[in-house]
Amino acid sequence: MHSPVEQFTIKALYALSLFGYDISFTNSSLFMVLAVLVSSGLLLIAMRPASIIPGRLQCFAEMMYEFVANILDSNVGKEGKPYFPFIFTLFLFILFSNLLGLIPYSYTVTSQIIVTFAMAFTIFIGVTLIGIFKHGLHFFSFFVPPGASKPLIPLLVLIEVISYLIRPVSLSVRLFANMLAGHTMLKVFAGLAVMMSGAGGVMVAGSALPLIAIIGLTGLELLVALLQAYVFTILTCMYLNDALHLH
Amino acid sequence: MVERISMISKWLVSGMALSLVSTSAIAAGDSSAKSGGLPQLDISTWPSQLFWLMVTFLIGYVIISRLVTPSISSVLENRSNKISSDIETAKEAQQKAKDVFNAYEASLSDARSQAANAAATAIAEAKADTVSREAAINKKIVASTKKAEAKLAEMKNEALSSLEDLAVETSQQIISQLTPIKATKAVIKKHVKIHAKLQS
Repeated sequence: MHSPVEQFTIKALYALSLFGYDISFTNSSLFMVLAVLVSSGLLLIAMRPASIIPGRLQCFAEMMYEFVANILDSNVGKEGKPYFPFIFTLFLFILFSNLLGLIPYSYTVTSQIIVTFAMAFTIFIGVTLIGIFKHGLHFFSFFVPPGASKPLIPLLVLIEVISYLIRPVSLSVRLFANMLAGHTMLKVFAGLAVMMSGAGGVMVAGSALPLIAIIGLTGLELLVALLQAYVFTILTCMYLNDALHLH
Repeated sequence: MVERISMISKWLVSGMALSLVSTSAIAAGDSSAKSGGLPQLDISTWPSQLFWLMVTFLIGYVIISRLVTPSISSVLENRSNKISSDIETAKEAQQKAKDVFNAYEASLSDARSQAANAAATAIAEAKADTVSREAAINKKIVASTKKAEAKLAEMKNEALSSLEDLAVETSQQIISQLTPIKATKAVIKKHVKIHAKLQS
């Protein structure tokens, strides 16, 4: 029987290397390309009419735009405007990676810790640099909670610094673990169904149960795919807000 | 709150799944030893993933920042401009309608007051006319009454005097026929007058 984590295996589709590194075009790369093409292509086709009174597809594209714009506006405010294209790209990339990953036989890009960590770490470095460029050394006052009593300050600063440094880890592990867990569970139930139907007898009829469970779980995973894209986006906005406005 | 609960449940689920994965990996023994546990932890695939993530994300960023975002935001801006200009036009039209209505109201009340004035003056004139006519008629009536009274008085006097003359003549004839007294007209007249006075 196949292991439930085998679905996460990276397979090279076209071998490539750069400066001695293996940068083969893999199944993961294919779905990254698809996520970008499908998301931007869908939005571009949807905005083709560009009419004052939108049709269904245009309405959908505008809803996506306004959804992300509202997240950015309510968490960061007007100063977040220049970062909108990045946040929008991030949201669409994660959302479409998650959603495309739910199609059977496809690959879930965001189930790879290195991918989510790379995104989270880039955001972490980015917002830290934005904070330092905007506030200079004053940025480090972010680690001193306002109104703290003097003797507690060293301890509080330590806690604040650790919680700040842990951000990229929590941000990336949240998305990764959700995708990993969801897809593993789907595979476990699918494997169970296959095993039961192979066992013969009463078990064949009983294999309907894990199949029904898979249907339910797929619905749940659809929700998780949307929710995690939203959570990743909103947390990015909150970190950006911290960098721009400190406390 | 809901967010927190969902996060906690996510963690629980993922923890369960991870333990499930690890136990199944242990149980699988040989087969998982070949693939080396979670494929995510296979460092040899990382450079390729990082490279393609960078490339695809950058391409996505360029497409979305250059093409998608401007097209959507321009449509949204056009719409909000159109809506605000339409509202402006509607407000102007409303103001115009209000002005027209006010002008109509003003002319209406003007006409009303003019009509009321005209009616009042007409009534006053008619009243004055009536009064003057009444006065004239009254005067005429009084005058004709007086004339008639005067005529009546004159006629009465005439009748009275002719009656006197008749009485005097009759008395003279009666006296001359019944008595030998020759009574003069003047004396008789005097007596008649005394009698008339006594009777009246």
